Amino acid sequence: MKARIDFHIHSCLSPCAALEMSPRIIVARSMAAGIDCIALTDHSCTENLPAFHQACVEAGMNCLYGLEVSTAEEVHVLSLFDDLHRALNFGQMIYSHLPDRPTNPKLFGEQPVVNVDEEVLHFAEKLLNIGTDISFFDLVPMILEAGALCIPSHIDREVCGAISHLGFLPDLPYDAVEVVGGIDPEIACRWPIIRFSDAHYPEHIARRFTEIETEAFTVPALREAFHHLLLK
Amino acid sequence: MKTSELALPTLKCVQPASGNIEITGGYTSDLLSDVMAHLKEGDALITIQAHKNTVAVASLMGASAVILCHGRMASSDMLEVAGKENIAIFISSGSQYETTVSLAKTLGK
Repeated sequence: MKARIDFHIHSCLSPCAALEMSPRIIVARSMAAGIDCIALTDHSCTENLPAFHQACVEAGMNCLYGLEVSTAEEVHVLSLFDDLHRALNFGQMIYSHLPDRPTNPKLFGEQPVVNVDEEVLHFAEKLLNIGTDISFFDLVPMILEAGALCIPSHIDREVCGAISHLGFLPDLPYDAVEVVGGIDPEIACRWPIIRFSDAHYPEHIARRFTEIETEAFTVPALREAFHHLLLK
Repeated sequence: MKTSELALPTLKCVQPASGNIEITGGYTSDLLSDVMAHLKEGDALITIQAHKNTVAVASLMGASAVILCHGRMASSDMLEVAGKENIAIFISSGSQYETTVSLAKTLGK
């Protein structure tokens, strides 16, 4: 089947995202925009995934469960699971690698953990959008070994992109790379190029997406589908 | 030295701060997690990270000012947050090294 996918969306839990980004709003806006499968990818925390899962189930939306990890070099990398519990376990481990310092919500933004009815359950304590102590070179195999898709985020962006922070894109077995600008043919020959919205506000949803041909929305099927996007 | 007195030929102030904020030292880094771990209160932060999270980290750590190197322009939301947090922003035409050296000389360090 042909499918439009957007696997890079932040909820209200990310301090840099709008508080309106509740799981139900994300699902409703994505459906209205004709997206077939979405992933929630908050910064280094997976605590809004249970509410996101419920919102997707009640609306009949296909989904993956993700997070966007910031490495020790402050490079952002998407980890995408097809199993909620695996994602939650991985998210807990990543959260423990954040600096052990409480955030200041007045400076960085609130980090509410919500239920599907948009009620605030509690707030994530540590600042989420800062580097963990895991290097990029260690994180990539950790994501793959955990059974998730590994996609470096916005590799061509100056802030928190792999090329600007590492000098070049290291030769590692990513499932795809996310770009926001033009396509570098040398990179497109080596890894599938995808575009996602990186939505932080409701109006960002579906501003970028990727169309794929896939059998299912599982990690192995998507890995296979991405492979067909490689520039021949 | 007060932020209002900081005047180097390579520096331009794009966002002044009110009050007598004393620059007591400097910290040079482009990794915000490193800044969070090591910047000392009163240091001017010398960096190329020209976005609003830089101001948030600077404010959290008690930085006296932010100096953006290589002529990088501060984004409008960065200037807005700097105004709210009363953090002075300077643009330096020099590199991080050149800017660090000239600030250190000015501070007599």
